[in-house]
Amino acid sequence: MNRQKLKKKLPQIVVNVVVILAIVLWFLPTLGLLITSFRPASDVAYSGWWTALSSPLKFTQYTIENYQSVLSSGGMLTAFRNSFIISIGGTVIPVFLAALSAFGLSKLNFKGRGFFYALIVMMLVVPSQMTFIPVLRLYNKLSLSGTFGGLWLVHTGYGLPFSIFMLHTFFQSLPDELFEAAHIDGASIWTTFLRLAIPLSVPALASLVIFQFLAVWNDLLVALIYLGGHQSVAPLTMRLSSLVGSHGQDWHLLTAAAFVSMAVPLIVFLSLQKYFVRGLMGGAVKG
Amino acid sequence: MKRSVFVVFSVLLVLALSLGASAQGVVTMMGVWGGQELEAFEEVMDAFTAKTGIKVQFEGTRDLPTLLQTRIAAGNPPDVAALPGPGAMKEYVEQGALVDLNGVFDAKILNEDINDAWIELGTYKDGLYALMFAADIKSLVWYRPAEFAARGYEIPTTWAEMEALMDKMVANGDTPWAIGLESGAASGWVATDWIEDIMLRTAGPDVYDQWVDHEIPWTDPRVQEAFEIFGKIARNSDYVYGGPVTVLSTNFGDSVAELLTDPPRAMMHRQASFVTSFILDANPDVVIGEDVAFFGFPMIKPEHGNPMLGAGDMIGQFNDTPEAAAFMNFLASAEAQEIWANRLGKLGTNNKINPAVYPDDLTRDMARLLNEADVFRFDGSDSMPAAVGAGAFWEGTLMYVGGDDLTDVLEFIENVAVDSY
Repeated sequence: MNRQKLKKKLPQIVVNVVVILAIVLWFLPTLGLLITSFRPASDVAYSGWWTALSSPLKFTQYTIENYQSVLSSGGMLTAFRNSFIISIGGTVIPVFLAALSAFGLSKLNFKGRGFFYALIVMMLVVPSQMTFIPVLRLYNKLSLSGTFGGLWLVHTGYGLPFSIFMLHTFFQSLPDELFEAAHIDGASIWTTFLRLAIPLSVPALASLVIFQFLAVWNDLLVALIYLGGHQSVAPLTMRLSSLVGSHGQDWHLLTAAAFVSMAVPLIVFLSLQKYFVRGLMGGAVKG
Repeated sequence: MKRSVFVVFSVLLVLALSLGASAQGVVTMMGVWGGQELEAFEEVMDAFTAKTGIKVQFEGTRDLPTLLQTRIAAGNPPDVAALPGPGAMKEYVEQGALVDLNGVFDAKILNEDINDAWIELGTYKDGLYALMFAADIKSLVWYRPAEFAARGYEIPTTWAEMEALMDKMVANGDTPWAIGLESGAASGWVATDWIEDIMLRTAGPDVYDQWVDHEIPWTDPRVQEAFEIFGKIARNSDYVYGGPVTVLSTNFGDSVAELLTDPPRAMMHRQASFVTSFILDANPDVVIGEDVAFFGFPMIKPEHGNPMLGAGDMIGQFNDTPEAAAFMNFLASAEAQEIWANRLGKLGTNNKINPAVYPDDLTRDMARLLNEADVFRFDGSDSMPAAVGAGAFWEGTLMYVGGDDLTDVLEFIENVAVDSY
């Protein structure tokens, strides 16, 4: 009897152990970062963060100095503003365009749509680094370099292939009968898209927004190249990286900076997660 | 509905485009500085703006080589930028990206304020393409003045005197040198600095440049000679504390501690200016400049004079605008360099700098040494391709100190060099 119970439960236990191990492994570096961010610079230089664990309740060994110097360093507010401008534009535009094109590619019948879809998916393979110089040249001619609009376009370009791919797969899974019914009821293509496809794809859109927002928010290289690093346009990532000296001095500040920078994506993720889950459940119940 | 969405987007786009339009009376500059360095450089820029009314837009990034190359290739380099080093400078000149500074600087700066050694360093193919804004020096021998005085040792100014001093130390029962080559994955760089310093003094700056550019092979007798002079010390248990085994296994930051024991286990240590921070970490009570001081690495062959090995901040101009020219002239001036030297303890290259601005006597002494040097050269291993300068050269010195035959070691490095240049 007991043995049978155990036999039934064994796979469950194995799964749990593996999941817990994975969580611990993934969480460990973040924990180290968190603890380091609260330790004074001199301690950081001489001992590892785990030494703080030997007496975790000794509060004198912690300090909020790192956070203070990160937040009070000049231009932080501008950097936050710039990051928001860049990330919101760099997320809304590609997600909107991707929804339109993925809908067209999966639900409208026209000649060569398989070809166009394949072409877009092929673009996933092009490394963005290859495009920097030619695109930047073009930007200089059009005087788009150093502008937020230019950067939105770049993020749109780099984000579209994956976004279209992801939404296309999702739209494909929606039953064609739904759209045929809408058509028979007299809905135009635009109405079908807005009233039927978009509401049905909220879970997919939410996860796409999370992906794209994270990618743009955390981007340093693309912004450096197309925007330049001047303070008035530099996003948070650039501002934070300039806290560290050219030989890596003051790197302890980076740990606190990392948490400051993580705060916004975390809020975005947590607030969108609700829609993400609700969208999934809604679909399940309606069948 | 459809139309209104597009209208909103196009309005947003136009708004965004108009935000970043460039203004006049502005110099754009790209550099690697962050943190404390950036704060010091901001003071330099503010002083320039206060003086001329021209604003400086500074872009700081630690990925400078990549970013600068991309921007040059795309045709919108910054007006002024810090250059990664002499090798990069030459590449940019070949690409036609840099402005010849002979047409930019005032005659007074070129002829009086900046020493010839710095002009020579920024010169390539008959043009002046880089300003040395500040320097760090490496050709320093650290010692304890009190111990030297108690034993009657005198600071050597030539290699013959140095050899006599080493023998005198050995006869007295002292060990002349402390050397530590261990530095994790970068183990060996301390030895490459030694060999570069010797090479500069035995073969001269011209041959040194040929060696760095691999125009002479590693098996050249002059390279061999430099290795042998180093080997005479590092492979000899009389001359170096602990012998080759200790040399190989001691961390570069720990080896200076042998000078500070009582009685000292070794009398001299060759290392760049930054070693003071290692001394203070291990012995916080030591007064740098009193308990521990330095003298310049002595000259070996008089005809090559007293060169100085080091590194520095090189600045080049990419766009020929009057604002950029004004900024370059300001950076070359004593006024700008005094701010930089005062805040960061770096050594300025303008000889009109008031020595009082240096943060301490030690830095003042280094500035004096630097001014007296006839020739300045960048750390050669930094200018070689990474496979050699940050690979085979390091490894080769370790093999050599470990007892390998010199001909084998040099052939090993040469083989790697042939593939990498």
